[in-house]
Amino acid sequence: MDTLASLQHLLGGFAIATTLQNLFYAFTGAIVGTLVGVLPGLGPIAGIALLIPLTFGLNPTSALILLAGIYYGAMYGGSTTSILMNVPGETASVITCIDGYQMAQQGRAGPALAISAIGSFIGGTIAILGLTFLAPPLAGAALAFGPPEFFSLMVFGFVVLSNVTGTSLIKALMMAVVGLILGTIGLDPVTGNERFTFGSIYLLGGIEFVAVAIGVFGIGEVLVNAAKPAESLEERVRVPRFRELYPSPQDLKRSIGAILRGTGVGFGVGLVPGPAPVIATYSSYMVEKRLSKHPEEFGKGAIEGVAGPETANNSATQSAFIPLFALGIPFGPVTAILLGALLIHGVTPGPLLISEQPQLFWAVVASMYIGNFILLLLNLPFVPLFANILRVPKKVLLPLVMFLCITGMFSVNNSILDIWLMLAFGALGYLMRTWAYEGAPLLLALVLGPKMEVAFRQSLLISRGGLGIFLRRPVSLLLLLATLLFLLIPVLRALFKPLGRGAVSAMARAPRGTRRKGGLP
Amino acid sequence: MRSRISVVLFLTLTLAMAMPVQAAEFPTKEVQIIVPYAAGGATDLVFRALAASTSKYLGKAVVVVNKPGGGGAVGVTEAMQARPDGYTLLTAITPLTILPHQVRTAFTYRSFEPVINVVQDPAMFQVRADSPWKTLREFLDYARKNPGMITVGNSGAGGGVHLIALAFEKAAGVTFNHIPFAGGGPSVTALLGGHIHAVSVSPPEGIAHVKAGKLRIIALFSETRMGAFPDVPTVREQGVPFTMGQWRGLAAPKGTPPDVVKKLHDAFKKGMEDPAFVKNATDMTVQLAYLGSAAFGDLMAQDHERYAKLVQEIKK
Repeated sequence: MDTLASLQHLLGGFAIATTLQNLFYAFTGAIVGTLVGVLPGLGPIAGIALLIPLTFGLNPTSALILLAGIYYGAMYGGSTTSILMNVPGETASVITCIDGYQMAQQGRAGPALAISAIGSFIGGTIAILGLTFLAPPLAGAALAFGPPEFFSLMVFGFVVLSNVTGTSLIKALMMAVVGLILGTIGLDPVTGNERFTFGSIYLLGGIEFVAVAIGVFGIGEVLVNAAKPAESLEERVRVPRFRELYPSPQDLKRSIGAILRGTGVGFGVGLVPGPAPVIATYSSYMVEKRLSKHPEEFGKGAIEGVAGPETANNSATQSAFIPLFALGIPFGPVTAILLGALLIHGVTPGPLLISEQPQLFWAVVASMYIGNFILLLLNLPFVPLFANILRVPKKVLLPLVMFLCITGMFSVNNSILDIWLMLAFGALGYLMRTWAYEGAPLLLALVLGPKMEVAFRQSLLISRGGLGIFLRRPVSLLLLLATLLFLLIPVLRALFKPLGRGAVSAMARAPRGTRRKGGLP
Repeated sequence: MRSRISVVLFLTLTLAMAMPVQAAEFPTKEVQIIVPYAAGGATDLVFRALAASTSKYLGKAVVVVNKPGGGGAVGVTEAMQARPDGYTLLTAITPLTILPHQVRTAFTYRSFEPVINVVQDPAMFQVRADSPWKTLREFLDYARKNPGMITVGNSGAGGGVHLIALAFEKAAGVTFNHIPFAGGGPSVTALLGGHIHAVSVSPPEGIAHVKAGKLRIIALFSETRMGAFPDVPTVREQGVPFTMGQWRGLAAPKGTPPDVVKKLHDAFKKGMEDPAFVKNATDMTVQLAYLGSAAFGDLMAQDHERYAKLVQEIKK
């Protein structure tokens, strides 16, 4: 498909997407999505599933415009509770808690919320441009990822991303191992035997990720505050003045690079099967921290740490539509449910969708441009409203956060046991905060661990036990080499520095080169 | 005096609550269907559509509640423990007769009253369109000469299509290399990417790619040919005496009064025949296959025995 033809089709798509009816559905989808994203727990999957029956009476195009709107709308809303209350509603907004919440505590909730909306808009829109012009060739490349490639990618993600916050390598690795162990609970992926379930039916399905995320971050934060002296609960976060509600020119200047890099990272990761939002957001944070002139500000409210990841998850969300539309294969749970919705409307996504149903495809793509614009307009005015939530004194706000966490948790699986699990992880989160252990590596390992295990065992089943399968396949080999290189960089630096600069200056420079190991005794 | 009144009142109320639900009044409130899987899967979608079309025949709303977890065990247990009054139903699907053999569950299919079977999907093997095997005979000949060399993906260890693949292996006298994936979608993706040789699936998985000419149905395990692919012969036609598929129906907790079950059965049967639902089902390429309460019970009993043997084999 050449560019000119794409443009022509796109214009046709806009003609369909801008009918009053379809604008209405794009708008509704954006609003519902924002709400679904703002409520912790209730994620895009549940939101879309609940609305599918309501779309039975619509034509497929309007239905898909509505449901896709919920999906990317939720990515806009997802950061809100992370920033304001340290409650990640879903995988995509875990990393936003780190610097977003710190910014809010310093009275900079407004710029944090605004920059995530702006970043989401830019990332989303650029990724849709990619969807418009590059869908078919890119989708084919994604199929090159089989179990061995996937395993190597997970190894790479694991090694590079587990110490994302960079405080203490030892503590981060310990937390990652805890996450890995938790990830083994449930049914063995190859034999179907029970593992560490202690006879409990509830544990057969493994540990619910959302319970761990909300528990460790949200409930943990509430408990930490509750343990403080009573006077501190009278405090409120420094109230921002009006002109501080939106990012300053300096904020924007610092964020623009992060936003553009986040777009690229997210777009690439979204094309690969697997937990795209997690890898995209963690990677973007890592990249920003590495490139920043002020790495010491990360974890203490660096705006790049919000701008990059929030952009990356939107970009990944949009690029995840490429394999869905171009190949008819869903790479994640949300695209899987969209696939189901398409089927119920008699549209079978597959390699022929774009050529057989061009109106549908191009109308939906056009509606995405419109939807993203609506979301920007919708979210920016909300910024003062949300930022003002922090005017509420902590003694009132914290019970509300607790309430929100509990109801949000219940909405995920309608399960009371999930709430108990979340509270248990809340207690763990409190201890972790007290002794300065980071939650991010634990959550990363909990998401990646089980997928890594499945990919590893699938690969060995295919190769009938030979480990060579990981080295014989070029993409896999490349990823493993990149991992090795990453591990060797600090060693190489340490080895070669003394030759050039003399031992003394090398010693003096060591903290910078081995910054990641800052917490080693 | 007052206390005596309250005792009488209390007893009357308790008695009233303990009285069996009168079918004549059923239903007086909404009926919920527990889907023991996450929203958006094939089962969820089928029963959401059925719920939407049945409400008008039942006179009250039919709502779907997802209770995922434990490979379905969590939701099934909850449905089993629900009051047997007809207001809580379970989507009874093939794993109900598999799970009790795999893990220690409190339930078997006998914990439920069968209401109606709605869907019976054929299971099948698909291969890539450019694979060297054009016919079932070529496929099986290669498998016979190279035991364990053909990799066959499935939607999860011990799941329906995995066990069906194991059963087919026996019937055909060959050995495959079974690769479990986290769902039917990922297994089809791996097949498209050429990472495995074949997949064991049930529609709608892979069907779009078959229609698009990317994949080919190499072995079809249904009783008769599929409406959408009249040219694809079943394995039975080609001399392998084997038929297996996956069913999806509705069941009520044990002890639900027979007249309530009958009312539910009649309403859902009308819902199944509703043109809107028939269209939804056709669009999703699921095969509607009505079975009455008794026949559905027999089917569950038969598969319960069948899967008991198969599960023992993978545990070895």
